[in-house]
Amino acid sequence: MNEENQNDAQIKDEQTSAILATSTIIIFFAVYWFFQIQSVRELLELAYG
Amino acid sequence: MPTAILGPYTRTILTGAVIIGLLLFSFTYARVSVWIDVQPFFEWMETTWFGVIGKTWGAAFAVIEAIHLIGLALLGGSVIVGEGRILGFVFTDVPARTIIDRAHKVFFWALMTLLATGIFMACGVAMKIYYLPVYWYKMLALGAGILFHFCIRKPLLQRELEKINPWVTKAVAISSLMIWFTVAATGRWIGFSG
Amino acid sequence: MLNELVYNFAVWLDDTRWSAMLHESYYMYNWVESTHVLTLMVSLGMLFLIDLRMLGYALPDVPASKIAERLSIPMLVGFTIMFITGISLFYAVPVRSAQSVWFRTKMVLLVVCAVNAYLFHNRMNESVSSWDNDARAPSRIRLGAGLSLGFWTIVVICGRFIAYDWFDCDYEQSAFIEFFAGCVDGQERF
Repeated sequence: MNEENQNDAQIKDEQTSAILATSTIIIFFAVYWFFQIQSVRELLELAYG
Repeated sequence: MPTAILGPYTRTILTGAVIIGLLLFSFTYARVSVWIDVQPFFEWMETTWFGVIGKTWGAAFAVIEAIHLIGLALLGGSVIVGEGRILGFVFTDVPARTIIDRAHKVFFWALMTLLATGIFMACGVAMKIYYLPVYWYKMLALGAGILFHFCIRKPLLQRELEKINPWVTKAVAISSLMIWFTVAATGRWIGFSG
Repeated sequence: MLNELVYNFAVWLDDTRWSAMLHESYYMYNWVESTHVLTLMVSLGMLFLIDLRMLGYALPDVPASKIAERLSIPMLVGFTIMFITGISLFYAVPVRSAQSVWFRTKMVLLVVCAVNAYLFHNRMNESVSSWDNDARAPSRIRLGAGLSLGFWTIVVICGRFIAYDWFDCDYEQSAFIEFFAGCVDGQERF
């Protein structure tokens, strides 16, 4: 029983760390790619008008 | 044992600490300071056996680069199959455990190939990439990818999958796809920069 | 005769407006090339997994026919994208590409790979029911998978070498290279 509780606690910890990591990754890369696409658009507008 | 000190949320606390540390490092002067400090190392890289061969024989560099691409293909394949199974796109009639474990083996050897060939290539063009911002973006994405894969994804997916919230596994799969795509794309971008 | 035909066709393509636009574009050529290279992860990634399964190195406890069947579709989607982007890349720089020994070798090898894949699939379909759950396929199938891995590796190497100008027609070359590259006497376009 104690081992099962420990196992469940570890799974909860791993899930929480995964949520923290994936949220950071998804937000970071969404912002990164937004600015990359923005900069490409500006350069294309500069080049081609 | 860290758990004895940090309690039941050890992994979460450590993950948070690493994320805060990386963000602080990336957006403060610490980044520039470390960049200046590693310059002698990059100068040394060009003097190594790898560096001399890479600079002298373009053919050798190109062959190693092609093997780097083969490794990329395998890494991409293993990520697509592994994460695709989690997201329910491929092999839905094969136990997820089998696909995840077997795809990880291919992923590991592909990553080793990429690291070995990547180090060789970096030695050949060390001072050029040292001054390329996109190279450092790639290294950041690669570091994040390796840490995420071995410290977050692998420990989580080693558990019984029925006990894990399916939205968490899907978020892990999507993050993995995003990171490795970014590593590949920034790697390609290096080729267009200088 | 054939080399002159190829050269004249390449010059005709080079004179088209879209070829110049693609070649001189700010980003488009880079995007097409990046798509061509990055789609390797889909096309060759799936293909190598199939080959490695046959050799017993990847996913050995998944039935071989299932691997081949399920991964074929993303593989073919990837190859279609690579084919389209590859044609676009050729169209952007037609003369140099047509006279590149590496490009010519790559095209020959692509045909060889297609023939190998056709023979491989036929052999596999004839016999797969007897070895589907085995970790390693029979020796003839493994030979086909090994050849596939080898040929495709050389295709990637040749693709990478296209960028190098060691055997370009605008430099002095040996008679063999001039013949193989299809250099035309007195050509003005390179």
